[in-house]
Amino acid sequence: MAISIVMLIATSLLVFIVLRLLPGDPIITRLGSTPGVDAETIARLRQEAGLDAPIWEQYLNWFGGLLRGDFGQSFFNQFSVNELIVMRLPATLEVTVVSIIVAILIAIPAAVLSALKPLGRVDRVVTAISTAGMAFPQFLIGIMLIIVFAVNLEWLPARGYIPFEQDPVGNLIRMILPALTLALASAPLFIRFLRASMIEVLSSSFIRTATGKGLSRWAVVVGHGLRNALIPSLTMLGLVVGYTLGGVVIIEYVFGIPGLGSLAIDAVFKRDYAVLQSVVLLISAMFILTTLVVDLLYGVLDPRLRIGARRG
Amino acid sequence: MASSTVLAVANPRRTFLDSVRNTGWQTWVAIGVLAIIVIVSVAAPILAPFDPTLQSKDRFATPSLVHLFGTDELGRDLFSRVLFGGQLTMFITAGATAVAMFIGVIWGMIAAFARGLADEVLMRLADTVMAIPQMLFALVFISAFGATPERLALIIGVLLTPTTARLIRSTVLAEIQEDYYTAAVAYGASPRRLLLTEILPNVRVPILVQTAINAANVLLLEASMSFVGLGIQPPDATWGTLVQQGYQKMYQSFSYLLFPALLIFITIWMLNLLADQLGDSSSSKGRS
Repeated sequence: MAISIVMLIATSLLVFIVLRLLPGDPIITRLGSTPGVDAETIARLRQEAGLDAPIWEQYLNWFGGLLRGDFGQSFFNQFSVNELIVMRLPATLEVTVVSIIVAILIAIPAAVLSALKPLGRVDRVVTAISTAGMAFPQFLIGIMLIIVFAVNLEWLPARGYIPFEQDPVGNLIRMILPALTLALASAPLFIRFLRASMIEVLSSSFIRTATGKGLSRWAVVVGHGLRNALIPSLTMLGLVVGYTLGGVVIIEYVFGIPGLGSLAIDAVFKRDYAVLQSVVLLISAMFILTTLVVDLLYGVLDPRLRIGARRG
Repeated sequence: MASSTVLAVANPRRTFLDSVRNTGWQTWVAIGVLAIIVIVSVAAPILAPFDPTLQSKDRFATPSLVHLFGTDELGRDLFSRVLFGGQLTMFITAGATAVAMFIGVIWGMIAAFARGLADEVLMRLADTVMAIPQMLFALVFISAFGATPERLALIIGVLLTPTTARLIRSTVLAEIQEDYYTAAVAYGASPRRLLLTEILPNVRVPILVQTAINAANVLLLEASMSFVGLGIQPPDATWGTLVQQGYQKMYQSFSYLLFPALLIFITIWMLNLLADQLGDSSSSKGRS
């Protein structure tokens, strides 16, 4: 717990410092196309954005604001960063959560079927597909899905986003391709890990005991095998969340989803650090928080680790 | 008797060729395909049939004997563009991988040797950098420093450093447990000798595996950055940039998108395959 907080502070410092190292000036970028601006106006704008203070003071201002839940003010429009985040967060959260659920739904049966007969026909096919899947950048998977399902088959829309409360069906239909893209990209990680852990569990003696006492194949494989194999795979979940949160940035761009990722890319083009630093910190916080929850959950699910988890 | 004791703890010096011999034909396929891609890309100025910036009236031509991959919206020969794009992609991949490996190996080795506070600090720093999704961190760096090929290589290389350092640290820590290392310490080898002559040759294979993994990650990150328009800027192009341009012209020409995308996929696939094969060989081999 304490480590997570220290990491969050360290992350905020790191992002802040990197963004202040640069030679450019956001105010000048902003005024780039406006002719005839005098030095006085520039100075006033710098002061308004709080850019004239020493760097450590700027950081403390930002960080103090964060503690009060105030992310600050965008350099470029009248919105506060909070408002921008509130507008963009739901789309990102939805894509991320749905894609991870889909990834799990793909990975569990694939890994279990693979592990039943290692090096058998199913296993070879699953391994080949997941190895190939890992070689596709997420955006290429997205493009392929668009080409097949949107352009050729015309089953699904290629781009766009509708808020859930406006049109639940339209929202879900537009979620299918982006969520599937991210799921297909992260499922191989799950499959590889779960397959290995499943093979290990299935060869242990309690499985033989369970089979020996006449339990059905299903009860042995799912009730005894999968249940125990899933626990170590939890650590994978933290990794996959991190991978998905990174990928969501690109996928939002591919599918035209107005989420945090497209907000971040926008902020890079405009050099709007106020927005960029907060979005990066927020997404990193989501990642750190997931890792923490996974650690705690691990302790709950595996009694042997309960003491260790509390200490960490 | 003395000599047999020495033999028992002799440094095993597992070499690259040993580990390749221990793997199947897949390793050779991966090495072969990668070699062809690298050679063809590097030799782009010799092999390209056209100047990649030469425009013609022949727009969106389908692949033919004259234009193997067809032409783009300005009538430029796509085969030549892909070759030169490959050259730039290889430059960034090699540069970033070298940066990641160089800093990462030193970082990890120091952490493993120093132990104590230095180790703690170095590894916490690695954890912090790893807490920020790489893609986002790349965005932060690119917005700060811009994206020339050199800077992009440096940025992506630095981003891959912490994972490299972590892996090297744990590998070195495992080697330190080995008898040959204890023996070297016992006869009073200097730290320099311990690091460079005793440990380094024995972590060659893990280093190679990590090099392949890093190179694959560089390709992924660079292509993604270029695809969202934050990587290499036109008229320069990497495969990622070409995919982006091809994607925008998808309805006019399919080969525009297809070939650079295919090359990105094949290169990453072969690098992963190589890493898997070498990794398996070193872990299943058993320690002498």
